[in-house]
Amino acid sequence: MNDPAPVKPLLSHLAQRRLLIISGILLIVFIAYRLFYPPLFDAYVGKTNAPLTYANSQTVTPQAFELLARDLSHQARYQKAAAIVATDQDPFARQVKIEMLMNTASFVRDTEPTHIKYFRQAGIRRYDGPKTCLGCHATLQVTHSDGRIETVNTLDDIVNSVHFKFQSTSSGFSTYGYDGRAVNSGQRRIPVGKIDRACGIPGSFTWTGWAALVKSRPDNAQGAIEIRSEGCGQCHIGGNYQPATEKMMPIGDVPNEAKAGLDCLICHAANYDMNQRYVIQDEYGLRWNQDRSLQAALSVAPVTNDNCLRCHQHNMGGDAYIHNQAAQNLGEKHRRLLHHGAKRGNPFSPEDDRHATAGIQCTDCHIPEGHKIPRGRLGVDLVANDLPNKEVSCEQCHSQLPHNHSKDKALLNGHITRLACETCHIKQLEENNVVLRDWVHPTWNAEEGVFQPTDVYRSGAVGTGFTFLWFNGNGTFLANALGNHPNHNLNYNPLMQQMVRIDDAGAIAAIRAKAQELKRQYPEIDVEQYVRTATDPLSQLSPELLAKRQAMIEANLRSVMNQGESRIYPFKLFNAMMYEDMGNQGPFGAMILPFDYASYYETGDPKAAVKKALQDPIVQRMYQLPFKLYMMDEFMAYFGVMDGWQPNYPLVNGELKRVEAHWMRQMGTLMVNHGIQGRGRECKDCHALNGIMNYEALGYSPERAAELRDLDVLTQVELPFVDRK
Amino acid sequence: MMLALFLFTTPITAVTNQAHSAMKPPEDHRACLRCHAMKTLAYRDPLSKKIITLVIDPSGFEHSVHGQLNCRECHEQHYQRYPHSERARAPLHCVKCHEDGKKQAQHQSNHQPPRQYQFTTIEQEFKRSVHATSDEPDAQDFNCHSCHNPHQFQRSQIGKPLAQVVRDDNAICLSCHEQRFDSLETTHAWLPRRDKHWQAVRCLECHTPLSTTGQPVSHQILAAADSKVDCVNCHSQDAQLLTRLYQYRSQEDVARTGFIAKAVFNDAYIIGMSRSPIIDFIGLLMIALTALVLIGHGWGRYRAAQQLSRGSQ
Repeated sequence: MNDPAPVKPLLSHLAQRRLLIISGILLIVFIAYRLFYPPLFDAYVGKTNAPLTYANSQTVTPQAFELLARDLSHQARYQKAAAIVATDQDPFARQVKIEMLMNTASFVRDTEPTHIKYFRQAGIRRYDGPKTCLGCHATLQVTHSDGRIETVNTLDDIVNSVHFKFQSTSSGFSTYGYDGRAVNSGQRRIPVGKIDRACGIPGSFTWTGWAALVKSRPDNAQGAIEIRSEGCGQCHIGGNYQPATEKMMPIGDVPNEAKAGLDCLICHAANYDMNQRYVIQDEYGLRWNQDRSLQAALSVAPVTNDNCLRCHQHNMGGDAYIHNQAAQNLGEKHRRLLHHGAKRGNPFSPEDDRHATAGIQCTDCHIPEGHKIPRGRLGVDLVANDLPNKEVSCEQCHSQLPHNHSKDKALLNGHITRLACETCHIKQLEENNVVLRDWVHPTWNAEEGVFQPTDVYRSGAVGTGFTFLWFNGNGTFLANALGNHPNHNLNYNPLMQQMVRIDDAGAIAAIRAKAQELKRQYPEIDVEQYVRTATDPLSQLSPELLAKRQAMIEANLRSVMNQGESRIYPFKLFNAMMYEDMGNQGPFGAMILPFDYASYYETGDPKAAVKKALQDPIVQRMYQLPFKLYMMDEFMAYFGVMDGWQPNYPLVNGELKRVEAHWMRQMGTLMVNHGIQGRGRECKDCHALNGIMNYEALGYSPERAAELRDLDVLTQVELPFVDRK
Repeated sequence: MMLALFLFTTPITAVTNQAHSAMKPPEDHRACLRCHAMKTLAYRDPLSKKIITLVIDPSGFEHSVHGQLNCRECHEQHYQRYPHSERARAPLHCVKCHEDGKKQAQHQSNHQPPRQYQFTTIEQEFKRSVHATSDEPDAQDFNCHSCHNPHQFQRSQIGKPLAQVVRDDNAICLSCHEQRFDSLETTHAWLPRRDKHWQAVRCLECHTPLSTTGQPVSHQILAAADSKVDCVNCHSQDAQLLTRLYQYRSQEDVARTGFIAKAVFNDAYIIGMSRSPIIDFIGLLMIALTALVLIGHGWGRYRAAQQLSRGSQ
């Protein structure tokens, strides 16, 4: 009994066993996560992953390599030499000078594309996508804006950037829900960005509209079918069968085979063949082809405007913009369908933007940190932002005193307190800038041989194509610029005025004419009602919803509008008629439904196209409980629908339920910042009776507005002083 | 000419706020402020390359020494229209208003404290200043307004925190002499812990002679060669240079925090002491410990003596 107590093991047998069991469970969970979760997730959302191959990724012989190298070197030297002598003498003299320069030793040394040497030394004779790039660039030095230098894994850096994910769960957005909360500012964060949201000119979203092959029947082909490519994937750098859906979940990662589909060269190669960008079909589905030729890889050089504009001219100048270089090369087969109406109509090109003329590069203002590229702190649309706190602004280069020549330079500088630079330096947008687009009544495009949504109204003019609004950098969940007159008065209420009304007589006449034209094809159209809903979208709301809307603006948005200091900015206006799920409607609109591109373009039957898109597994999942709880309830709260997401699938027995066609309840307002003209507006453009500023709508009192319209009054100092309260 | 950086150093509140002020500005301000309250009403002068600001911060002006004046009391004519007449560019001189005893008498009749400075004296001092005598192109047209913005000017009040006085006064010098911030700059290399010095003393302490006119600070700015390059001028019992900074310390402040505390641990330490609060503190600690040991020792001896006397009984 008095034996000394036995040496106690560190853990009792029971505890040991428990520990073993727990470790076992953890191991099983880990294995399940690595092995079983990815295919289960893919099956759940109906997406595919498979090894990706590209026909143009070919091994070349050493001889062919040298031939390629010689051609590329020659081409690079020619382009640079031609640019140097561009303004010299006559063409013959220029030709002689070009030839001399091209064979000058120092010129050859400085102009030869660098990767020719690297590839030659490393024995690389085939470009195999990220694998080849990462062979040397596995890590990357990133300089942050605070001067901190960090070494990061290159692949992780790009895979976690918005260019790959098209969404972000981070906070720091300047976007506010109609419920008054800053998006993702709280504990509960949901993925937001392009991935789950219709494009600026809607129609579909990336899940259902990633890659499509459309059978077109152009009139001049005499009945022959031409296959065309369409889809969001054409502008995004992932090469797989769908966007990076896995990244939307709190766990899981994009599989390696999908990462191997990254298109490094579209951003990094000087010679990238846009004719290689078209949709291909393989045994697993549809995906976008890319240029993986050795020629493109050898031309890798510091990123220039040409790289960015391969995709981004699409949303600036537009596809139909004559200087859109990418749109000149639509594909060696399955040519990409052009989008004829422009999203913004403010091109960035040497022909139409002062900065591009001066040779300024995109990355001079949008200074990247690794693969994260800032889009500035002012955001009116809910597009994910990798660096929401990094400034991109005119002032960074121009200071607050940019005017040096005019006799009114001090006063022009003075106006910067209240006016954004763009307000005077963007005088018009491209004529094909779309203001109203009707997806519900498509029209036949004989030249392309497809049915297309009808652009009911296009305008690049001030007042009709774009307007002026107070803006403090905040925007709503549906892209409405927020701000207020500096005196914070209640008269300025764009969500009840400027963004919900078209009152220009010319615009209304044009819309009516278009409605009459549509009526010939769609006899059920009531022209007057059509014009009313298009020009006064709030007329679609019930009086209760209208009252609720007004109350929500005052209760939730007024304080957001009054934040900081607002300035007057130009905004491109946009509205669309879409099919909507009326079971999920609030005072600011209802959930819009996507279209299946192929059936829309081929049949011109938008309802059938909606039905087809609704059958996409991920749209079905959207209407089920896990998605509702995971993100849709939160999404709808931001949307201004406070009682949650109603998961009632709108397709019952092949029929659409609770689905109606409506114009969105307010126009979206998109920021325009490019297409900057060197010479801005004159004083009298705004300060005149028929000036471009609607001062009353901007919240000025009638007396002050009258004063602002009279340049003589404004420049007179000795006046009887009127009390203007 | 060089009101320059005021644009960026002064926060300017919107003109709309002015109506809320209890002190209503004189009525003709509004016509002028319509333009001059624009926060960015300024331009770069093509000749000097400097920023010329035309901004009047309405609230800053209201609280300035000139805040109760009408614009037209100083800017008498040539301002009827925009653009103003070329003649409006003619410079205004402080001494024109401030030359005689008239204003001084006005001040006294308004029961305001007497002026510390005589503008005629200032003018004489300024004429000997390096800013007036220099041939440097940058110093051409140097005048009162080059340093003192008449629309913002406030007297340094007694009781204003010394650090603030130092910061504000040095900001005036550094608005032109910004190159002094360059960490590779060598002209002040002789000063140990240069940046600490600049936070604690004004440029003026070394770069002006002791005023012989009874005014707190001379306006005769000395050239680098004539300035004091000597620690003893401050770090000695009779630190004349530094005393003029301390005139802004209020008696009430000294009284409130206790004279000892203020004198030993105040913002710039007591004249003639170590200048290091750590050393000061350690010194005091040692004195306190010594006193403690002495008291302890004395008490111990007292107790021991008592016990001895009890034991002997």
